[in-house]
Amino acid sequence: MFLAGSLVVVLIAAAPTLGLVVPFPRSGEGFSELWLLGPNHMAEDYPFEIGVDEEYRVFVGVGNHMGCSEYYTVCVKFRNQTEPLPDVSNSEPSPLPSVYEFRFLVVDGEAWESLFTFKLLDVSVQGDSASVSSIAMNGVACSVDSVSMWDAENDGFYYQLFFELWLYNMTSQRFHYHNRFVGIWLKLSAS
Amino acid sequence: MFTRKFIVVFPVILVCLYSSLMLEGLASNGDVATLAINQAEDVVASAYEAVLGAEQAGANVSSLIVQLNDAGEFLAEAHVAYRLGDFDGAIVSANQCSAIGESVESEADDLRVQVYGSRVMDSWLTVAGSLVGVVLVVFGSYWSWRVFRRRYYREVLRVKPEVAEAGS
Repeated sequence: MFLAGSLVVVLIAAAPTLGLVVPFPRSGEGFSELWLLGPNHMAEDYPFEIGVDEEYRVFVGVGNHMGCSEYYTVCVKFRNQTEPLPDVSNSEPSPLPSVYEFRFLVVDGEAWESLFTFKLLDVSVQGDSASVSSIAMNGVACSVDSVSMWDAENDGFYYQLFFELWLYNMTSQRFHYHNRFVGIWLKLSAS
Repeated sequence: MFTRKFIVVFPVILVCLYSSLMLEGLASNGDVATLAINQAEDVVASAYEAVLGAEQAGANVSSLIVQLNDAGEFLAEAHVAYRLGDFDGAIVSANQCSAIGESVESEADDLRVQVYGSRVMDSWLTVAGSLVGVVLVVFGSYWSWRVFRRRYYREVLRVKPEVAEAGS
């Protein structure tokens, strides 16, 4: 009884030192969040029917729950209905080139968010095809050159603006696609 | 005669030289931009690794992250400018990114060394404190046990046996 009591007190006294040498495993698996909010900073009222020379706003955000600070890139891509999206099952990004990008670091447990504005600058419609040549993204005129065919079923020319999340890997010393993307469908309005 | 020829030929040579230099300049501007962007990428990656090292050592790296995000913005701008063919803009943005990245890396290294030093000191104090605690507990327990045992025997020896008659 006396010995057991002493042993407990010894363990309590040695606890700070034991804490230095005994590794404590991290609970749970690390992950990152990627989100897109509408112009009112809510998950609603996303731009859909868009016209030329009109500016639209969305908010893109990333949350870090990986256990340490992470270095991210968000690649903004623009596609028509037939061009490929990222392959979720194989963790492959879309082969389309990124038109705009964000690079930033996020401390573990915190989030990064940025306003993203876009405006169609150069659009031409000929018969059953529409061509978007240039889009201003956050005030920068970016070349896209994307042609969309008339979608008779949904009655319009459709495009998709999507955001891919990439994560810097210290071992390979380059960015890897983090298998997360969000996007919004855009319908070219007749005006 | 020679002077007149020279006066005619010299401006032609100058124009040719200038044009070739300009063409070469235009061609190499893209290469310079590529180099500047690659260098900026490396600097930001190294700075990120240094910040991560400082964070793992226990330092508060929030201000460094803010600075590095500014560098990241310049790097993204450089990439966009490069894609648009604005090589001069790309070079300027990439150089600004590199300057911030180098400063952050140096600050992060200093912070890591500083925090590591104080952490080693703290660890030694913790180990010493624990050791003193353990020794005190062991000796205290032993001493208490001995005092307890002595008192116990004394009490036992003080007890006088009494003979009681059977049936009384």
